[in-house]
Amino acid sequence: MTTLTELSTLDVLEAEAVHVIRECAAECERPVLLFSGGKDSIVLTHLAVKAFAPAGLPFPLMHVDTGHNFDEVVAYRDAMVARLDERLIVASVEDSIAQGRVQDETGPRASRNRLQTTTLLDAIAEHRFTACFGGARRDEERSRAKERFFSHRDAFGQWEPRNQRAEPWSLYNARLKPGEHLRVFPLSNWTEIDVWAYIEREGLELPSIYFAHEREVFERDGMLLAAHPAVERYPHEQLFTETVRFRTVGDATCTGAIRSTAATVREVLVETRASDVSERGASRADDRTSEAAMEDRKRNGYF
Amino acid sequence: MPLETPLLRVVAVGSVDDGKSTLIGRLLHDTGHLTRDQIEAVEEASRRRGRKGVDLALLTDGLRAEREQGITIDAAYRSFEADGRRILLADAPGHVQYTRNMVTAAAGSDVAILLVDAANGIMPQTRRHLALCALLGLREIIACVNKIDLVGYDEARFREIEAGLGEVAAGVGCRHLTVVPISALEGANVVERAKTMPWYAGPTVLELLHDLDPPIAEDALRMPVQWVVRHDEGGADVRGLAGRIESGMVAVGDEVVALPSGVSSRVARIDVLGEDRAVASAPLSVALHLEDDVDVARGDVIVAADAVPALADRVEATVAWLDEQPLVPGARLELRQGTRSVPVIVEALEARLELDTLEHEPADALEANDIGLIALHAAAPIVAEAYVANRALGGVILVDPGTNRTVGVVMLGGAAVPAA
Repeated sequence: MTTLTELSTLDVLEAEAVHVIRECAAECERPVLLFSGGKDSIVLTHLAVKAFAPAGLPFPLMHVDTGHNFDEVVAYRDAMVARLDERLIVASVEDSIAQGRVQDETGPRASRNRLQTTTLLDAIAEHRFTACFGGARRDEERSRAKERFFSHRDAFGQWEPRNQRAEPWSLYNARLKPGEHLRVFPLSNWTEIDVWAYIEREGLELPSIYFAHEREVFERDGMLLAAHPAVERYPHEQLFTETVRFRTVGDATCTGAIRSTAATVREVLVETRASDVSERGASRADDRTSEAAMEDRKRNGYF
Repeated sequence: MPLETPLLRVVAVGSVDDGKSTLIGRLLHDTGHLTRDQIEAVEEASRRRGRKGVDLALLTDGLRAEREQGITIDAAYRSFEADGRRILLADAPGHVQYTRNMVTAAAGSDVAILLVDAANGIMPQTRRHLALCALLGLREIIACVNKIDLVGYDEARFREIEAGLGEVAAGVGCRHLTVVPISALEGANVVERAKTMPWYAGPTVLELLHDLDPPIAEDALRMPVQWVVRHDEGGADVRGLAGRIESGMVAVGDEVVALPSGVSSRVARIDVLGEDRAVASAPLSVALHLEDDVDVARGDVIVAADAVPALADRVEATVAWLDEQPLVPGARLELRQGTRSVPVIVEALEARLELDTLEHEPADALEANDIGLIALHAAAPIVAEAYVANRALGGVILVDPGTNRTVGVVMLGGAAVPAA
């Protein structure tokens, strides 16, 4: 008899993610995969492709575009969609502003982080999506650690963390009333290291900003922010050139760069393993507002 | 031979205030899984609440309401490595009113860490959680007698609780129990060996987690079909039956049966996410190709031809009731088994299991957090596989089609309830 190969943690996590993706596709009428151009959503897309190959994806991808993205990420997104030959929907925060749905913030602290929740919920309603796949992981943040794989949202897009559906033995309840939807997180049990190890194992390409490069930056609140047309600087915030990379990819207004010379996936893995700062602590200004910042945003419909 | 999986699923249970969240914080801290900014955030949050020192429980109590009340409401999941073994740890709530969240966290776990307060001793909730762990078939319990510092590291007190736990464990039919004296606050016997308890020569909590035998995939093949991947291959319509192998293994050439139809065929190809393999085992997600063009769809389950479980439309079951609305006989619900949903009627409520005494008591209704013995009548035959024989199909959920809530966690087969 042929012998089995030994399973690794990545094999188990991959199988679990694919199981969740297939369940959601089968149980939900109109799913969509939220694609940000970040490493987690790139891994998620790769897993979705594997789950249904050699057939194509049974759902489209959607990018909530704040208009404040890094150019490299948008270029990556378009090239990836063309290569996969899948459907991409772009929901634009600029459009929401133009339609008067939200007010753009102004000044050096302006961010569209909060605004994109409205754009996302409007897009879900417009396309009548019943489930959104997201690349969130439980290791990212305390309130995320509490979330189910299939996370219910009421007609207002709200999360009710005190009354979540039981999910014993990977049995998911995807039933919905009109106007409600689900957020589905196949990577729930992955860590940042798992994501990088999987990127290495599968040979996935990432936007270039994940690897060390020279960039004009300035310092704010102990973080390095990139010079970007969307970011207004205080007079004392001087630009300088630094060798950096990004550990997470979000809006240019709230995503910090880290000093790094890691130029390959392998080097990033080594650096991440040795790091004594968490992913969000190193690079996300949006979580620094309060100790429950993420929970509050999630309750209101955030990713 | 079934293969070991490197991932160990662990749940921390026990009465409220016995220190579950603190123990998990301690495990993460002492194994180097906390980053500087996470430690600083917890220090800051501890100061703001006027706590002396660092309250590691604030790490996992992630909800605003939890930190305000200092209790755990729903399970938090954290990952860490113990010398190369990945451990996925669920921090379950201790309050009676959140027993349903404890059941959810414990179902599917391999091991439970049961916390007991050395000063308070065995509480009613300690007994209940031990009974629930036995009911859910957890194969190993690590009982931690915590806050041993508060009783002066007294060996006699430890031995007394150890003996009491042994009795309760024997009563609920839990065979594998290890008891460790710890102080989660001081980190004694969690990761580091305590110098304060020279009388204890046994393993630390981390050593126990690391050395536990790996979970073993139950040996009979069970694969619920999730999705049929269809594509055109040179004019032929090729159909891959996509699903996750929930138990056992499968090899090319094996004879398999699809339930509930009972049609059989042989495995022609095993596609493991783009790679053809001769053999695959639980818990891999695969697509099986059969030799014959048989009618198999989502909701069916592929089983080994030499281990076909029975079908039945009337089954006995043990239910953990989750919903605020009580369960009464005659309730019409939807049963979810694998990838199949079948309408069911609760024909009878035979007993309520009193967790404190382990007596079966007559009952007219089951309230939220109650455990009961019920008889179900299904609209179509389901796989009547006992939970004790195979969790993959023996564990099911009940959904209320009116409210859409998941209302029951169910173990098929009456034998799952420990005899009083």
